[in-house]
Amino acid sequence: MAKTETREETLKKIDVMAERLLKQADAKENLHLDIPIRGSSNVFFDEKGKKIVLGDKVAKRYLFNVAHARRFMQTMLVSSYVKKDLLENNLTATLRDLYYAKKHTIRGTRDENTIEEQNESDSAIVDLEVSLDTFRERLHLRAEPKGRMAGDMVVSDRVRNKVDKIDLAHMGSGGWAVPSIVEQVEFTDVGAEYVLVAEKNAIFDRLNEDEYWKKNKCILITTAGQAARGARRLIQRISTELKMPIYCLTDADPYGWYIYSTMKYGSMALAHESDRLGCPAMKFLGMSISDIEHYDLRNVTIKAKEVDIKRAQELKNYDWFKSREWQAEINKFLDKKIKAEIQALSSKSLQYISKTYLPDKINAQDFLP
Amino acid sequence: MAAAATTEQKAVTSADLEKSFKEYSIAEFFKKNRQMLGYSGDVRSLTTIVHEYVTNSLDACEDSRVLPEITVEVEALTAKPRHTELGAGDGEKRAFEISDEIGKAATLRIFVGGSEKKRGEDYVIKYERKGGSSVKMLVFKSSAPPKDAPLSAEWAIGHLRVAVQDNGSGIPKSKVGAAIGKLLAGTKFNERMQKRGQQGIGASYATLFAQITTGKPTRVKTGTGDYKVYECDVSIDVKRNEPAISNPKEYSGNFKGLRVETEFSEVAYDRSEYGVYEYLRRTALANPHAQITLIEPSKEITVFPRASKDLPKKPKPAKPHPLGLTTSDLMDMAGVTEARKISSFLTNELTKVTDDKVKELAGIINGAGWERKKKEELVIDFDKHPKTLQWAQAEALVHSFQKVKFYNPDMDTLQPIGEEQIRKSLKNLLAPEHMKVVERKPKVFRGGIPFMVEAAIAYGGKAGKKEDGSTEGEIMRFANRVPLLFDSGNCAITEAVKNMDWNRYELKNIEEQPVAVFINFVSVYVPYTGAGKLAVSAEEEIVSEIRMALMECAREIAMHIHGMQKAEDEEKRRQIFFRYIEEVAECLHDITGKDKAVIVQKLRKIAEERTALAEAEDAEAEAELEKVEKEAEKEIGEEG
Repeated sequence: MAKTETREETLKKIDVMAERLLKQADAKENLHLDIPIRGSSNVFFDEKGKKIVLGDKVAKRYLFNVAHARRFMQTMLVSSYVKKDLLENNLTATLRDLYYAKKHTIRGTRDENTIEEQNESDSAIVDLEVSLDTFRERLHLRAEPKGRMAGDMVVSDRVRNKVDKIDLAHMGSGGWAVPSIVEQVEFTDVGAEYVLVAEKNAIFDRLNEDEYWKKNKCILITTAGQAARGARRLIQRISTELKMPIYCLTDADPYGWYIYSTMKYGSMALAHESDRLGCPAMKFLGMSISDIEHYDLRNVTIKAKEVDIKRAQELKNYDWFKSREWQAEINKFLDKKIKAEIQALSSKSLQYISKTYLPDKINAQDFLP
Repeated sequence: MAAAATTEQKAVTSADLEKSFKEYSIAEFFKKNRQMLGYSGDVRSLTTIVHEYVTNSLDACEDSRVLPEITVEVEALTAKPRHTELGAGDGEKRAFEISDEIGKAATLRIFVGGSEKKRGEDYVIKYERKGGSSVKMLVFKSSAPPKDAPLSAEWAIGHLRVAVQDNGSGIPKSKVGAAIGKLLAGTKFNERMQKRGQQGIGASYATLFAQITTGKPTRVKTGTGDYKVYECDVSIDVKRNEPAISNPKEYSGNFKGLRVETEFSEVAYDRSEYGVYEYLRRTALANPHAQITLIEPSKEITVFPRASKDLPKKPKPAKPHPLGLTTSDLMDMAGVTEARKISSFLTNELTKVTDDKVKELAGIINGAGWERKKKEELVIDFDKHPKTLQWAQAEALVHSFQKVKFYNPDMDTLQPIGEEQIRKSLKNLLAPEHMKVVERKPKVFRGGIPFMVEAAIAYGGKAGKKEDGSTEGEIMRFANRVPLLFDSGNCAITEAVKNMDWNRYELKNIEEQPVAVFINFVSVYVPYTGAGKLAVSAEEEIVSEIRMALMECAREIAMHIHGMQKAEDEEKRRQIFFRYIEEVAECLHDITGKDKAVIVQKLRKIAEERTALAEAEDAEAEAELEKVEKEAEKEIGEEG
């Protein structure tokens, strides 16, 4: 990857933006940034590319507008920090680092801070990303890393100029922690044939202990809930660069489905990054509502709550859940009003998942699209 | 002619009437009609007394074309105030029984936990029936005294001495008795014309009230401008209804005007909205040409200064229209008329009353229409002397005036205060931040009685500011410049104020706004509700006209408030922009390396220009941002 070039490009983009603002000031215009609108009014499902994409609606964020001024100022703070502290020094920082670096009392006020809560600077970062048409990693900003993996594959990672070779087959019980930025990771010595992505740490630990990945020639990844950007990017890269099938394993409930759909198609909030984060080839292995009947798990289901029902109804209306199979799955859920965790399989026996459930499903190719 | 003409039962001779009139003692008459004349309740009685004197004074000054200077002095003539513990609150109890002495005290101060409470506002003194007798109760209006808070009273029995002095025409020595010491006799010696609220018969009632409650005569001092001063004590020989003069004194001096001074009991002084202070304050507002000084029992001196040197135009002499009369007016006129028969009294002294109309009246009063009330005194012999007219008969006449179709009164008799005068007056007493005065064109009610409405709303300054600094919107009602302090619930003015959608005028919850609403109802014939002359009847045309006037005022006030808010908003906006400019400039400097000071200067300049921009732009942007953020929020937590 041509990393240095990217950094200069990004630097240039920030400079151009700042110069444009100064020109606006010279022309006595109201200083403004063009920021593509995020949110359902400007987010569409690209049927062909199988991803959620941002439309071309742009909002102007003004400095001299009571509703915008503060956010505008925060976006400027992010810009200068990214340029001066991160890119120019070739350093990366977490969102929280930035938050603390730029939080201070505004001069001339008694107690107003430039940034009160981290979510404010986080939002300003996304503003900058979309207005520069770039993404967070290029701004050298890291999210909290989340996700672990193990399997028959060696990767090389780099910390500034040091390169480490990591054998994912020898990562012990905990697995390799997926970094928040994975652009520099390279895949070598790949023995696995597919990737199994589990939503839950507990499932990863179970399957790792059962040496499932070894016996079934696969790579095991846990996202530990909603997948972080690093994990999503990594899964996408494995899918496209190694052309491996990716199977996803979540609880049988609307939140599990949504975690799946985010990895597969992208999300509304990060619609501008679906290209680099989405993994359209991913398939949903389970757990499905039909599995509950098929594997006779009715005794270990949980009654769906009000919020589950509401969320399911919302999902049902999303364009990316409009396939026949998913509509049927959701309807079944709305009809029975029950949900189940993957761990429900443990009611059969501890190793039921690795010895029976997964092999069965994969052999039968019993997936949802 | 009419008395015997109709039915058998009503065949009452004039001799009978005469007899019953004579047996009807004047003191009894007063007792019976005390309520109607305003003498009900200790505070109100005092206000009525002052009202009678001050009204006469204002009229006397206007008659002699001098700018009124009126001094009202209320002095407590008591021994040392006494102190009585009344117990303690329990957090719930609101009514506390007090001794009759305390209840009747001339001065009374109530303390709860050491802090003084306001009579009328915080508490009232009420009679309550207990067994066969009535007891006095101290009743707290809005909140009960807190638990264990000691209640105490500082009080003094005794009399209140009231003195009212003016610089008017004075009363000729020969007429003093009739003016101050004879009931049902006119107190006005100039030609009869429309005066304030058709009032002015009351000075003699005050004399009688003093006499009944304290046994004291009324001291009068008068000078008509010829350097001769005349003083005397006036009381009323109630049996004969004739004045009794004593201690006369005549001397040279340059006193001009009238001073009336006497002592009352069964009256109380306080600063409530029904008290003398408020009455005089409002009188001053409606009479900007007058200077009124009040000396309170506490010796505090308040001057309501003159706001204008323009005397009101002398009202056009006009006989009263029957529809505008009250019973006491009629009795008053009957006492001084030179007509010899009731019939000619009506046709001579009233306008639009013809012989035919008198016949009609006789038909109504003595005919079948009045059968329900077959009391003898209701039968009127229209050939009898007007002086034989009794209260009940006058009452019957006034009632039947409403049933006869008279021609409408003339339009040119209206005497408004005037827009400019009201403006000066409000400015003088309230120093408002903003005000709007509206004088509406004359309209008619009841199909032809002319009236007009003057209204004003004052905002800010002292408007709606109470003495303790709190804010309470104030509604000031007037009829022909006379403040209406009582019975606001039944009044057309109150109704019009209540019916306004104040929200639309940026005056939501008007009771809590810094506003004073001023309304003067002007008509030669004020349709009072009841004989007390306290509230204007809520006739549709009147309420609607008052509303129109109020709306006109309120629109302007709303614009003013809106303008203030706009300016305030602009200032806020400017501050927000200026706050962030430094930060933004520093960032731009960090990125581009351009001089920070230069950037700051440029941005400040734009900010100044931008602050005045339409709010719509902001509101729109805010809504858009809010929408975007709401949607984005849904996805939060997704990235971990």
